[in-house]
Amino acid sequence: MKQVVVHPEKCVGCMQCMTACATAHSVSLSLFSATQEKPLPKPRIHIGASLYGRGFPNRCRHCDPAPCLLACLPGAIYRKPATATVLINPDLCINCASCAMACPFGVIRYHEDNWAPPGKTVAIKCDNCISRQAVGLVPACVEMCKSGALTFEPVAEAQNRKTREITQTIWPEPVTVATGKFDGFELLQAIKKSQHNLATAC
Amino acid sequence: MNHVIIGNGIAGIQAAETIRYLDPTAFITLFAAESHPPYCRPMISLMLEGRISSDRLAIRNPHFYDDLQIRSIAGAYVTSIDVDAHAVTIDDHEPIFFDRLLIATGADPRTMKIPGHALNNIFPMRTVSHVENMLTDISTARHALVLGGGLVGFKAAYGLMRRNIPVTMLIRSEYPLSMQVDDIAGGMILDRLKANGLTVRTGIDALAFEGDSRVREAHLSDGSVLACDRVIVGKGVQPAVGFIPKDRIPVDLGVLVNTNMETGIPGIYAAGDVAECIDRVRQCPWINAIWPEAAMQGRVAGMNMAGRTVSYPGSLGRNVIRIFDLDVMTAGLINPEPDDGYQIYSRIEPRLPVYRKFVLKDNRLLGFILINRIETGGRLVSLIQRQFPLSASEMGILKTL
Repeated sequence: MKQVVVHPEKCVGCMQCMTACATAHSVSLSLFSATQEKPLPKPRIHIGASLYGRGFPNRCRHCDPAPCLLACLPGAIYRKPATATVLINPDLCINCASCAMACPFGVIRYHEDNWAPPGKTVAIKCDNCISRQAVGLVPACVEMCKSGALTFEPVAEAQNRKTREITQTIWPEPVTVATGKFDGFELLQAIKKSQHNLATAC
Repeated sequence: MNHVIIGNGIAGIQAAETIRYLDPTAFITLFAAESHPPYCRPMISLMLEGRISSDRLAIRNPHFYDDLQIRSIAGAYVTSIDVDAHAVTIDDHEPIFFDRLLIATGADPRTMKIPGHALNNIFPMRTVSHVENMLTDISTARHALVLGGGLVGFKAAYGLMRRNIPVTMLIRSEYPLSMQVDDIAGGMILDRLKANGLTVRTGIDALAFEGDSRVREAHLSDGSVLACDRVIVGKGVQPAVGFIPKDRIPVDLGVLVNTNMETGIPGIYAAGDVAECIDRVRQCPWINAIWPEAAMQGRVAGMNMAGRTVSYPGSLGRNVIRIFDLDVMTAGLINPEPDDGYQIYSRIEPRLPVYRKFVLKDNRLLGFILINRIETGGRLVSLIQRQFPLSASEMGILKTL
């Protein structure tokens, strides 16, 4: 299953994902008319300044088990296993902020929204763009991200790639060994490197 | 394995679900003193406020017990525990035997033993029945008196004010929620309540109630008399430990438990408001009688009862409250003893208004108060729970929150 993966080291803090997110959750789905909507569509992804003033794309991790889901008093927060998404039912939400106290990442906001009953303040957070996914689109933040800080892929794949990248930084080139004593070792490395190059090429 | 759970609050329910998840063949018996199906206790104040009806309180579907094959005995109060025979009894009935027992009886509201305390229209506020009783002929209410400025008294007053009923609140300390906030935050809350029509009298208590069958007036400790037709008593709760043999099972204020939620007797566990375990920031036995900790303790107790050894790192007191347009979130230690090596940072912007207070020791966050802009407060709760020492730059981020 593909999920949004965050690569904070690549974030340049341009905040275009926030605009894209707000637009994707507007009624008109167009940036220009979305700015005129009431209530004004708001982003579910938040760029915060991390240490040393660097940008950090902060969005719901859709944890399992999810602390917000366990803390929700009226049972408004639920999980949709098909997309590994934690969702909030705006009809049941009572705006008690118990989820704000439970979320260790601070990604839940409270405001009116065009998919909640009019005039009602409810808890709002990332929904993995499931309505976009249903028609074959990737989440809006990923589509917009220019720096590669947000990708949409199976988590295991992202982890493997990361492992390979880290391995490369530790041991970037095969070592040339002078004596013939370690030939087997050198051969093994050469095979691994060619395998890696093949994998990254496809 | 034969499991008996006393109590159908959130701790008991979570334990029953956890046991069933880990052991499909376990035999589970659950005693429920309240005959209502499992419901969300913190939401009863919303019912008083009129924001929700009682059918919105349920936290499980009506067939919950049958679905999980739990034998539930409703409206039953366990009267004794036989530690040696591993059995519980209700009055003179046949004993019910157990291999593992969970005490999750919660807590009962403290009553006021003053003249006239048994008059009609004097209510505690703990169960859905209490609120239902309050709501019968609520439209005739002319003036309500709320005793106690803790969470219950505060929520009762807020609910009645939302119904446009004039409310007088008597509190012994100088500001409401004195267990949850400090004097500055308490003052801000008090101002907001007063601005919305609440009459607050501090440093004062009721000495007697008078009336024919219903309460008509209250005599106060300063000699004055206050006319009232509803009284809500919010004088705190005490763990429901009356039936527990204290010579066998160690009981302090609540039932003492270890990190596996097990009492001094192997095979007997306790969880929720009745259990006393280590407080994460005080590092001593303490009862943090709050819903999320009760839920967590119930889960941990259930896992241990079903044979999966899991430890619970201790409880953390925390609360989040919205009062008119003021949002308040607090957690952990907020009024530490002075000169004990605590680092305290606070910041106030009275015009917004925004208030922040952080309590640290050895660069570890122990508690905080946030007034307004509380959305990301969960990160601070997490910092307290992890007890991770903060670097100078991380402290800088704290200060700008």
